[in-house]
Amino acid sequence: MNELPTECRAILASISAYLDGELDGTACEAIEQHCGRCASCANVVTGLRETVGLCRQAASVPLPEAVRRRARESVRQLLDHESKKTS
Amino acid sequence: MQDSGLKAEYAALVRDATGGDRAAMERLLMRAQETAYRFSLLVCGHPEDAEDVMQESLLNTYRHVKHISDPEAFRTWLYTTVRNACLMKRRRRAGEPAAFVSVEQDVDGEERRPLADLADHSVPADEQLMADRRNGRLRDALKTLPGSYRMIVVMREMEGLSTKEVADITGLSEANVKTRLHRARVMLRRRLETV
Repeated sequence: MNELPTECRAILASISAYLDGELDGTACEAIEQHCGRCASCANVVTGLRETVGLCRQAASVPLPEAVRRRARESVRQLLDHESKKTS
Repeated sequence: MQDSGLKAEYAALVRDATGGDRAAMERLLMRAQETAYRFSLLVCGHPEDAEDVMQESLLNTYRHVKHISDPEAFRTWLYTTVRNACLMKRRRRAGEPAAFVSVEQDVDGEERRPLADLADHSVPADEQLMADRRNGRLRDALKTLPGSYRMIVVMREMEGLSTKEVADITGLSEANVKTRLHRARVMLRRRLETV
């Protein structure tokens, strides 16, 4: 198996921090410059960025209407029951 | 920021609800149930369990909110209790094959087309179809991750919790959460290339 160059290993280790905006400007610039001349690391950055984007898009999927209806009904029953107890 | 915004939103709802605003209490309890269902289904994959966890979260949230002293801590509390309920369900189901369904699928197994059902004409049908395919691929990839990694991906990427919140909920260090999230992303990427 081919050993990754030290620079690539350092870049790969900090990709998540880069994507999460946790690195300072100098560190971001170093990653971007490296990716400009290393197609392999550039592919990893693109791939992980897409993966994160996919996850975040999936977060907006709404609940099934039947489940939502049951949840709403349970809330109303609970609150009605509690208000009768206190009145 | 997204996570602090949501945290503040929850805290404001908690304050209004404890102040006697019934509509706020209804919204808070609905959101707690939605969170519980979505989280449980994504992490455990069983709709029946997700409904149980949702019901538990309703009662737990109602009881907790009446005596809450720090509304800012509500969101972390909610995810901690939901996570614990999911872990209990998973322990009970240990050894059973994972039966993942999508969050859009009802308990009866009927698949919904969320945006189509909502008649949202702002999204063209071809774009919606692509979104459904992407979500399907993601679900398939997600279910191949180890449970603890899947939980971190769901909390961080899908539920928008901060690293610190996930660390508080799981009892891991922030560094450990970051390491696991990075590994999970790499694993997910590889799975997405093959599914």
